[in-house]
Amino acid sequence: MGLAAAMLLPLAACGGGSTTTTTQATTAATEGDGSAAGTETSGDMTAANVDTSKFVTITMLVLGNKPSNGRMEAALAAENEIYKEKINAELQLQYIEWTDWQTNYQLTLASGDGSIDLVGTATDWLYAWQLVQKGAFLPLDDTMLQAYAPSTYEAVGEDWDLCTLDGSIWFIPEDQYTQWTNHGIYYRGDWAAEAGLEDVSNFEELGEYFQYIVDNKEGVIPWDVSGANNTGGLLGGYLGSNLEITTILGVDPAIFTYNNDDPYTVTSPYMEGDTLVEAAKLFKEWSDAGYWREDVLNYTGDSRDGMYAGTSGADQHHTQTYVTTTRPIMDEKQPGSDLQYFYWGEDNNNVTRDLKTHGAMAVAASSANPERALMLYDLLRNDETLYRLHNYGIEGEDYVVTDDGELDRPEGYDATTDALDTNFWYGRMDEYELTPVSNYDGAAELYEELDSKAHDYALTKFAFDATNVQTEIAALTEVYNQYIPSLAYGKFEDPEAAVAEFRAALTSAGYDTVLAEVQKQLDELKASEG
Amino acid sequence: MRTKTKTVTLQLNVHKVTLGTKLLRNRTLILMCMPAIIFFIVFNYIPMPGAYIAFTDFNYNKGIFGSRFVGFKNFEFLFNSGKLWQLTRNTVLYNLAFIFLGNALQVIIALMLNSILSKTFRKVSQTLLFLPYFISAVLVGFMVYALFNYDYGFINGVLKNLGQDPISFYSKAGVWPVIIIVANLWQSTGYGSIVYFAALCGIDQSLIEAARIDGANGAQVIRYILLPSLKSTAIILILFSLGGIMKGNFGLFYNIVGTANANLQPMTDIIELYVYRTLINQFNFPYSTAAGLYQSIFGFIIVNIANAVVRKIDPEYALF
Repeated sequence: MGLAAAMLLPLAACGGGSTTTTTQATTAATEGDGSAAGTETSGDMTAANVDTSKFVTITMLVLGNKPSNGRMEAALAAENEIYKEKINAELQLQYIEWTDWQTNYQLTLASGDGSIDLVGTATDWLYAWQLVQKGAFLPLDDTMLQAYAPSTYEAVGEDWDLCTLDGSIWFIPEDQYTQWTNHGIYYRGDWAAEAGLEDVSNFEELGEYFQYIVDNKEGVIPWDVSGANNTGGLLGGYLGSNLEITTILGVDPAIFTYNNDDPYTVTSPYMEGDTLVEAAKLFKEWSDAGYWREDVLNYTGDSRDGMYAGTSGADQHHTQTYVTTTRPIMDEKQPGSDLQYFYWGEDNNNVTRDLKTHGAMAVAASSANPERALMLYDLLRNDETLYRLHNYGIEGEDYVVTDDGELDRPEGYDATTDALDTNFWYGRMDEYELTPVSNYDGAAELYEELDSKAHDYALTKFAFDATNVQTEIAALTEVYNQYIPSLAYGKFEDPEAAVAEFRAALTSAGYDTVLAEVQKQLDELKASEG
Repeated sequence: MRTKTKTVTLQLNVHKVTLGTKLLRNRTLILMCMPAIIFFIVFNYIPMPGAYIAFTDFNYNKGIFGSRFVGFKNFEFLFNSGKLWQLTRNTVLYNLAFIFLGNALQVIIALMLNSILSKTFRKVSQTLLFLPYFISAVLVGFMVYALFNYDYGFINGVLKNLGQDPISFYSKAGVWPVIIIVANLWQSTGYGSIVYFAALCGIDQSLIEAARIDGANGAQVIRYILLPSLKSTAIILILFSLGGIMKGNFGLFYNIVGTANANLQPMTDIIELYVYRTLINQFNFPYSTAAGLYQSIFGFIIVNIANAVVRKIDPEYALF
């Protein structure tokens, strides 16, 4: 026991949290709340004055599987020569692999051991605002950004407002990059044509398409999805395609929405109206008709691989994936399949534009070198040579630029084994992007169509503070996770009764309290925006 | 036999000697225990202060001990959700089934192995029984899925070929306790029977020979000689496993049942799965730690009660 007690001491000592130090001793009070560690920022702040005499390594946290083909290392080595010369630093990537990425991402940030400097984040899929409240990020301010990331500071301009809370800027938005990450389902144009469908743009037609596959395509499951990995199924898509609503981001579980004509009033189709009942009934029919596996909730296969192999009639993801990946690959693997895309809200024009904070870069609260981290990010984002090295690799080896300025791959390049995978999704710039030759030809047309239907997400600045309703949120999440997969895959015998039961469970879990809290904070946001 | 030796060694050390002398005298024993001691220190004692997370409003930057103390606030959720009873019941009942069925089966297997005369056959049987223990729970999960899934499962394939309607196992919560218990027994019985088999091998053969001469048949030898000699081993093993009665076999349940199929949860949800879900769905470290801490404390109480009861009946068999 004595030994055990002695071993405990060092642990207790290091639990106190590390304090960040800066290269210069002058201090200036940092704005912002006390949730972040006391950071010292230089009083005399211009990048030129930063003491870069000490060589530092900046670690950037990115999502994705770490590549093992050596290409990433080669590109970084080339980059690092430039960083060393310009700011006496080097860049290193730390990957959060896709297996259990949500948990690992949070765990890595929770450890707060100072091993991470730059954190790739996002307000819609990487919990940026929640992490701000949990104290994971270093508060930034105008002076600091102006000094260490001047080009970025200038380019972002008004959009800084989107990243500001309580007087501090918390992350740098990827606001100079256009992409569409609205979700939908991919279906085979050839089979739809055989089924006598011109196209699929609503759930009725999708049902006909699926039924055609059940009737005519032996050995093909219409949508061979894994309910264990895609717990929401088509439910969110159904609601968005039948109601003019948008989900409010940053509130768990994701059941709270606003009506598009009134963003400051919270509501929820999960609680109000009949659409959820309709959806649950439809999915029960679809389940009984065999549009997915009977044991979908315990199946863990990949519907995309199934679609490539011709055993799944559909796959569900977003526009960007359709244009860059699934359509080109299907053209190759299933020639003539003419993969099509039904995006949610296609019929009722309910499409939300990408958030400017769908990608963002934050500085970790425990970073020992926040200045150098910002300087490095500024270079990476704004220096075309570095940008290309980082995102495309070494010219001639990893990529070639065609005569009309498109991105092509050298002879013998195989995307499945030779990919660079630096996964820099936190500060891309349209200005330096090269369009891949392999992209779907109809992309521009699709983007135009989306653009004509899309509206902006109205609550980008809404950073929900869950402190007062934590118990209720946890209870709601548990109820949500208990009912939603079974509702979405039609696994309740009586969908109507199940929805009633689900709503009663939500109510007793504290739905009304959370709703009132969200509304209160929306009112405050509205008041502050004037 | 083994317990006897232990008592003897202990008695030798009862003399008034200093700790240093004791350590020196038993240095070989201590050295041999070192891997186990280090294991428990590293994985069980060092992380213990981390349980403090359950009482804080955990802030990533301030760390475990810098975060605000909130008392028992994080536990309210556990009690309010009403799940606690179901989780505790499932965890305890599954473990009781694993322990008692497991030990009974292990004794039977050991007796059967003991009566096999051909050495080669015995070794082969033992190895075959032993193998499932080394199969990872992930694979067990896939095997269960391959057997029971509705569309392509082996059992439903057979049923369909016989002209019967397939059974949707994954929507019937009631069958899963059976499936899970069988899977667990299949994995652990061979391994567990080794201890009993070893105890049987240690029985003085002359006892059995004498009984035979007196006209005892096989069943009587088992009933009056073999089983009584296994009694102390069985009690010790069962007591040891009672210590883990609140500890679910996460790997087995997670891989067989998963977390998305709520239809099965009333019969299959155990505390470990719940802790995991709270963490993976909400990243709420304080809440999941609170659930884990509840489990440890409740388990601690159960072990103490069990031990007290045993001591009351027969102090010889008490663990501490």
